[in-house]
Amino acid sequence: MEEVDKILIHALRQVGTEVAEEVDSLKQFSSELIVEAVVRCVRVIESGLGGALPTSLPPGMSARFRVGMSLAQACQDVGYKGEIGYQTFLYSNEPEIRSLLMFLVEKLPRERAEASDQSAGKSAVLQRAIAAALRAQLAASWVPPNCRLPLHWETQSQGALHSLHVQPLSFPLCSKASDRKHLKDVKDYHRDVLPPVTAQTSGHASTAASILERHASELSAAQEWDNEWKSQGLLSRLTPQEYCSRKLTRLRKRIEEQLRSAAAPSSESAFAVSRSTSELSELLQTFRGSAPSNHVLTKGSHFTHTQKFSFTQETAAAAALSPVLAGRHSEGDVQLRQEEELASLQQQFQQLCSDVDQLTADMKHLNVTNAQVLDELKQRELGNAEDDEKMQVKKKTVDLLPDAENNLLKLQSLVEGGAKRVVNLAAQWEKHRAPLIDEYRRLKEICSNKDLESNRKLSEIKSLHEKIRVSTEEAKKKEETHKQLVTELESLPKDVSRSAYTQRILEIVSNIKKQKEEITKILSDTKELQKEINNLTGKLDRTFAVTDELVFKDAKKDESVRKSYKYLAALHENCNQLIQTIEDTGTILREIRDLEEQIETENGNKTVSNLERILDDYKAIRQENSALAAKIREG
Amino acid sequence: MTATEAQIMLSVGLIEKDVNGDTLWVWCYPSVCPELRQVLLRKCCLTQEGRDFHTFVFGHFSRTWFYITTAEVQEPTALSKVTHFSIAVTAKDFNPEKYAALSRILCRTYTKHGSPVKMMEAYITVLTKGICQSDENGSFLIKDYDVQTAYLAGSIKDVVSQFGVETIILYTALMLKRRIVVYHPRVEALLEFTRVLPALTWHRKDWSILHPYVHLTDAELDDLKTCPGYVAGFVDPDVSSRSDLFDVFVNLPDAVITVSQGAKEAMAMGKLHKDIAQLMVNSAEDAERSDSQVIKDISTKTQEVLAHLAALTETCENSKITLEALKLRHFPPATENFLFHLAAAEQLLRI
Repeated sequence: MEEVDKILIHALRQVGTEVAEEVDSLKQFSSELIVEAVVRCVRVIESGLGGALPTSLPPGMSARFRVGMSLAQACQDVGYKGEIGYQTFLYSNEPEIRSLLMFLVEKLPRERAEASDQSAGKSAVLQRAIAAALRAQLAASWVPPNCRLPLHWETQSQGALHSLHVQPLSFPLCSKASDRKHLKDVKDYHRDVLPPVTAQTSGHASTAASILERHASELSAAQEWDNEWKSQGLLSRLTPQEYCSRKLTRLRKRIEEQLRSAAAPSSESAFAVSRSTSELSELLQTFRGSAPSNHVLTKGSHFTHTQKFSFTQETAAAAALSPVLAGRHSEGDVQLRQEEELASLQQQFQQLCSDVDQLTADMKHLNVTNAQVLDELKQRELGNAEDDEKMQVKKKTVDLLPDAENNLLKLQSLVEGGAKRVVNLAAQWEKHRAPLIDEYRRLKEICSNKDLESNRKLSEIKSLHEKIRVSTEEAKKKEETHKQLVTELESLPKDVSRSAYTQRILEIVSNIKKQKEEITKILSDTKELQKEINNLTGKLDRTFAVTDELVFKDAKKDESVRKSYKYLAALHENCNQLIQTIEDTGTILREIRDLEEQIETENGNKTVSNLERILDDYKAIRQENSALAAKIREG
Repeated sequence: MTATEAQIMLSVGLIEKDVNGDTLWVWCYPSVCPELRQVLLRKCCLTQEGRDFHTFVFGHFSRTWFYITTAEVQEPTALSKVTHFSIAVTAKDFNPEKYAALSRILCRTYTKHGSPVKMMEAYITVLTKGICQSDENGSFLIKDYDVQTAYLAGSIKDVVSQFGVETIILYTALMLKRRIVVYHPRVEALLEFTRVLPALTWHRKDWSILHPYVHLTDAELDDLKTCPGYVAGFVDPDVSSRSDLFDVFVNLPDAVITVSQGAKEAMAMGKLHKDIAQLMVNSAEDAERSDSQVIKDISTKTQEVLAHLAALTETCENSKITLEALKLRHFPPATENFLFHLAAAEQLLRI
């Protein structure tokens, strides 16, 4: 309870109620204090309602009564659901006041005290100012040009727009400084001479654009390299440097091939293509620098050569024709000449045609005879080779012929011996060969197994990369939320220590848990006892019934048995009474406990003092009434 | 297989495919030059991505005939880690049946013993004595396999029935020593078809023009080009675009014969050809005549034509004919053209 009171008092103090320092529980709240607190709370919650209410009780009883009523009404308007009336304020009792104040304090809007006294370094202040300005600018929505207000001129007018003009920048490579040994001169240059990035661009507007572009290109290059390395680089099982160098050589080769094929002569190319190839070859010439112009001619295509050739022929023909034409004047002569020329040319043409025909026929004939000759040659060569071989064999046979029988036998034995030897050698070779082949196969198997292993590991690596990527993203997100929450935490009011509250709450929770455990234990104990009692009662009844019968049976005959039977009955009766008394005692004790509790609560209500006050007030009101009546009668 | 012929069988080689999926040339006797080794590895179906399994293929490279028998290793066996193997026998003569039988024996020996030594013993026995024990009761005798039988083993009737009158194009191309290319995706069909084509020019009995199984590689094509006229079989459909390789292209599955532009003029056909074509078709359709009889009929007709040509040459000096002499006879142009080229092919033309 004290904690709750402390929280309430603190909240009330914040609202503006002047609570004295010694007051630390609601029991010590006077009516005036209560009224002031409630009025201030209501004012904060809803300023319209609380404006009409005074913060202190007026002296007059009826006025006080009125104030109490209006305050109760205001509280109900705010939303308090409990029973409330003027008596809550004038003749208060603790529980009601506590619930009302708790309700009001919860209703108070959450105030955020501006974090004014933080670590006020200059950079922090500057950053906060920048953040505030950016927030304001971002909050301003975009407006079409015709509707722009002066508020927008700074950020949205035409003058504020700049085209994206990018310039190359040079940075000292600070990220890889540990990997590469910079030359001392380069370091000095970077430190002393290289202008800062903002001064490297020609115009102020292109700084941002250049930095953005440079950053974006570096980022995309890094990402591409990452992707390529993860997909192809790992598969190639080379180190990164080897992979890079191999890729470089491959690309160079391709470029060379492309240039060569584009510049190479192609005899069937169309005129346009040949023109472009000559241009390309000129371009290549400029690369090579000093090259004589006739070099260009030799590289030209077959087509351009023939063109040139035919062109020169045409010029020669034209040159030949023109002097012929130039010398004549008269028209008739001219026509005659032309006809003669035509006839001679036709004759020439026919001659040429027949020549061509003759040549083709000759060529055909020569082809055929050529084929025949080649065929004959080939056959003769083959025949010669075969005959050579046959001759060799026959010669040897002839040599051996004189002593035919013996030689035959010798040959046969030679052949057999040779065959055996060869087989022997083959067996020996097999001894060597088989283990080698087995070894080869075994190693191949190991190699393929290793391949499988490495493939598996590669896939594992890929999955690990994936996991790394996912976890870095998560970590980034979590860091961002952490930053956000930290800033939020810092902006919260620090004077009320949350940790103490949370500590108390956790203690209370554990206490309650313990109590719950104890209660359950007690309940189970009670149940056990009850069960035992039931058991025993049952046993008692049964035993008594049996004993009763037994003794009664014998009681008819024997006098002593009859006496003992009477004693038994009496005993049973008395014990029953005893048990009954005990039970009654217990019930009565419980009732006493309940009544005591009720007395306590009633005492807390301060009912007696309130009643006295009410009586006094009643008397005061009656006096006032009579005073007012007297005043009315007088005037 | 007369005794005066020099060594005909050249070598025997062993190709194995193991459990690692490698196909290796593991053993040979006496030796095989690297180029031929490459060719043999290519022809062996074990290197061809394991799609089809060809038990027996044969071919011709650089005047050497090779015969490859492939077998799958069945349990129980002395060979460990080997899934399939091929035995490649190279020889100078064309006789698929003989070498197929020999290879089968060698395969069985190898499977049983697991070592090439035993196989080599059998091979040497055949080489020196011409006979070898096979593990089925009986033995393998070289002299059982006659080259004539090999020549006549194919079915000319099938060829004629498939192409009908167009067979005359093949006949003309063969007579004029032209280049014929046959395409079929299945190697066995290819071998069966091409092996019978040289029988159309029975008077020459020249099977060295036959290259039944060729791949489109530089080495093999260079070797092919050293022959002025050939019959070449390809399983690669791209060969139809290689017009530099053929004068006549036969698409076997579609049964289409095409003559390339450059050769059309030389292969012009006339009445003479029509007669021969008719004769071929009639002879083949006759159910009572066997393959060898059909070949004999065609050969008889060919001899007639050659005799006619020979008669023409008698009147010329050197018994060599010239184009002018032919022109004097006033043959129809197609026949004149044919006789002219035939004379060149038969080496009767004056140079």
